[in-house]
Amino acid sequence: MTTLSDLKISEVKLAAEEGGKWGMVIDQDICTGCQACVAACAMENNIPFVGEEDSGYGRAMHWIRIERFWEGEYPEIKMTNQQPMMCQQCGSAPCEPVCPAFATVHSQAEELNLQVYNRCVGTRYCANNCPYQVRTFNWRDYERPEPLPNQFNPDVTVRRRGVMEKCTFCIQRIHKAQDKAKSEGRDVMDGEFTTACAQACPSNAITFGRIDKEDTLVYNMIHHGHSHGKKHLEELGTLPNIVYMNGNGAA
Amino acid sequence: MSEQVSRRDFLKLAGLGAATTAVLTGCGPASRYVTREPYQQMPEYNLVGQSTYYATTCRECAVGCGIVVRTYQGRAIKVEGNANHPLNLGKTCARGQATLHGLYNPDRVTDPIKKSRGDSAGENINWDDAIQVVADALKNNQPNEIAFLLGTSSDHLFDLLTDLANSAGVNAPVRFGALSMFESRATLSKAAENLFGQAGMPWFDVANAETVFSFGANFLETWLSPLSYTRGFANFRKATETKLRGRMVQFEARMSATGAKADEWVAIRPGTEALVVLAIGKLVAEIKGGSVPRIFSSVDPLEVASQADVPLEALQHLAELFATSNVVAIPGGPALGQSNGLAVAEAVLALNILAGNVGKAGGMYISALAPNQSEYHRPASAQEMQAFVERMKNGEIKVLFVHGVNPVFELPNAIGFKEALSNVGQVISFGIFPDETAVEADYVLPDHHGLEGWGYQRVTTGTDLPVLSGAQPVVSPYYNTRSTVDVLIEAARLAGGAFASALPFADEVEFLENKVTSLMSESSGSFSAIDNVAFMASFQQYGGWWKNVDAKVSPSGSTAFSRNISAEQAQFAGEGEFFFVPFVSPTLGEAGANKPWLQELPDPTTTVMWTTWIEINPETAHELHVENDEVVKVISEAGEIEVPVYIYPAIRPDTVAIPFGQGHTAYGRYAQNRGANPADLLGLHFNEAGDLAFAGMKVRIEKTGKTKPVSRNESRMGVYGEDLGEEH
Repeated sequence: MTTLSDLKISEVKLAAEEGGKWGMVIDQDICTGCQACVAACAMENNIPFVGEEDSGYGRAMHWIRIERFWEGEYPEIKMTNQQPMMCQQCGSAPCEPVCPAFATVHSQAEELNLQVYNRCVGTRYCANNCPYQVRTFNWRDYERPEPLPNQFNPDVTVRRRGVMEKCTFCIQRIHKAQDKAKSEGRDVMDGEFTTACAQACPSNAITFGRIDKEDTLVYNMIHHGHSHGKKHLEELGTLPNIVYMNGNGAA
Repeated sequence: MSEQVSRRDFLKLAGLGAATTAVLTGCGPASRYVTREPYQQMPEYNLVGQSTYYATTCRECAVGCGIVVRTYQGRAIKVEGNANHPLNLGKTCARGQATLHGLYNPDRVTDPIKKSRGDSAGENINWDDAIQVVADALKNNQPNEIAFLLGTSSDHLFDLLTDLANSAGVNAPVRFGALSMFESRATLSKAAENLFGQAGMPWFDVANAETVFSFGANFLETWLSPLSYTRGFANFRKATETKLRGRMVQFEARMSATGAKADEWVAIRPGTEALVVLAIGKLVAEIKGGSVPRIFSSVDPLEVASQADVPLEALQHLAELFATSNVVAIPGGPALGQSNGLAVAEAVLALNILAGNVGKAGGMYISALAPNQSEYHRPASAQEMQAFVERMKNGEIKVLFVHGVNPVFELPNAIGFKEALSNVGQVISFGIFPDETAVEADYVLPDHHGLEGWGYQRVTTGTDLPVLSGAQPVVSPYYNTRSTVDVLIEAARLAGGAFASALPFADEVEFLENKVTSLMSESSGSFSAIDNVAFMASFQQYGGWWKNVDAKVSPSGSTAFSRNISAEQAQFAGEGEFFFVPFVSPTLGEAGANKPWLQELPDPTTTVMWTTWIEINPETAHELHVENDEVVKVISEAGEIEVPVYIYPAIRPDTVAIPFGQGHTAYGRYAQNRGANPADLLGLHFNEAGDLAFAGMKVRIEKTGKTKPVSRNESRMGVYGEDLGEEH
């Protein structure tokens, strides 16, 4: 039987220079699952809270979540290393071709998966097609009683009912840094800014930066350790831009 | 794409063109002078479209992490870590991030109110009258009948009231917090004192250790200084050119979020912690050769193995690991909350002496004292709180001021704080939220939120440097609140006499200046200043002052080995068949329940949101015939609560666990009537250091026939099963 990995889609696509521009390395060995990234993401990106009942239905709007699995049975039980999971900013994203409204599109400039809120008509095809299950849908206009809206980040759209959303790699921060760099006549420097999750992460398990150049933070982490990490569900040919490591592979 | 114009740039250019056109063609005055009203009146120094950043100190717990708050047109938008702050180096925890949901919480106390006890609402009064109430309370009572109960933050208020106590004779302020109760701070410092002759907060240099033996310490969650310990853990775990990946062993009956990161999780029977530590010490001493120190000599490892329900081979293997690497051993969590918690702490500190790591990199130290602090200070232990409540019951306290703590919720029900309040003539709360204690008060005179107020916090542990973390307002007060320090200064002036001379300050800022600027003359400061004004400006700009000197203490424990620790199991109270482990919710902490985004953060181990649950081993659940989401009644000698079941695979079959943080009967819409409070199950049993033996209870479990779907993140199908046919 032919399996997906036999098809070697990823190799075909990789040859086609779909490298990506921004990427992340996540070291699961030092992630403690503390949820600081989840809170930071919610605060930065105006993500609504949905309440007890809706979150019970799996409608919580976390753009980033920390997965953990169990291995074995008591007393030989082990929690697998925590796995922060967010939009993998695929180079060949399964969510994109299925959107009838072109709300889920690929940015040529940033090489990211965009979600254009005012085009989205809420078919949810993209979430259906995302193998990482990282897209969240506004099932309602979630209430944020006054004066909570004072906290809204003015750089990020406030979404309303019927709109799909997901991690953007904090594109507002990318743009801010790019605008500043452009006004100073230079390219964005590595480490000049970072995403909300990486900035908060108490153990520095999340590193964000340029992956289209050598000798950047992320590039060095991937290429100079003993382990090169792995990308999730790479065999599907999605070309994700997030690399997961379990330590650097040294003993 | 160098020469290509991106879509975004194109839109920007197009937009610029449109704007130019508009100006050239000329519009009516209305469109040329569009004024956009901000949510609040904008301060003059804020530019439209530009963010302003202020350094201050996080007040969500007592740790004292430095934060930088992004503000925009007078509103606080985002909390970030202060990258220069030596304690947290730019990092924040989830509770720090969600502090904005406290600032802009819809259920804050908006005005000073006079009310009757038991009511959450009351009649608004003006601040002049409110200050007169405080002044009268000071003036019309004997000084020793006036008491202040404070939280563990903020330190500047504590210092003000200590000054007041010293010169006007009122009772010295008492500090308490549920976090410090569950951290057993009195036990830690008492153990240090007994072994090293020096009371203080032990500091464990996880970052440079090869192996960590943690006896229940939840140092990656809320314990003592979680950001600092987490940074240490990351360094410890990472293999580099010069060091191996750190190896961690956790001993606890219920796998905590910290224990989940351990390489080896050893589920010892609750109450045998001291025995296990001593047995490991004995085995290690034997492996290392030479005589076994007296402190470890009284145990028989074979017997301990059976008492602790751990194979002897496992203990031997752990002792081997301990003897052959640079280990640091950490006591904490439920291990200290036992009837013999002090023995556990002493035995673990003695293990560090045996490992030869005291005062060495990767070992154990006593934390540096903060600037302007002459000796180690800790919050009241539960036993000291019991004595305080006793004084209230006896009518010795006529006026009680409460600030920054919610004792009606945070203290175990059995201590009777709420009942004792009826013997206190006047209760004045400075609470910013309508919490359970504010409900029981006669007046609520709301302080500013931490982000609206001045202050400082001493860093107790977590860094080598002495750090005084500074706080300043990042936004102007949103409601008609007033700084408690200002209220007290003004009230003392009105009360006159010794009160007025004790607090001779014009306002809070002058008081701060008085306390802080003496640091100007100290050497090796993080900044220098030519005068008070310059010093205060830098103090605010940098978010505090610290001394660039490694001031952690390397204690000497030369006589520790000759101490005698009785090798006994801990005592348990109650008749039930299950050991009971209450633990502080890693996401909510002691006071996070009213912040909606903290409620919606999944618990790191169970992924549960928005409620309380009881963790039961799958095998036990099978025997009890209980399923997930089934509500059970948990009964101890002190009380009973009803909670839904979460079948948890990483807990001993003879143990159940419930998180602390929920179960509020007040405290705003997001907290009220949600979950249950495990402190209701705690009886008043203390360890030798006076800390509560919170893990020394036994409980029994009864079915109720009810179910409650527990909202959790781990299943994308949700908890209502696959049958989603119904419309919701």
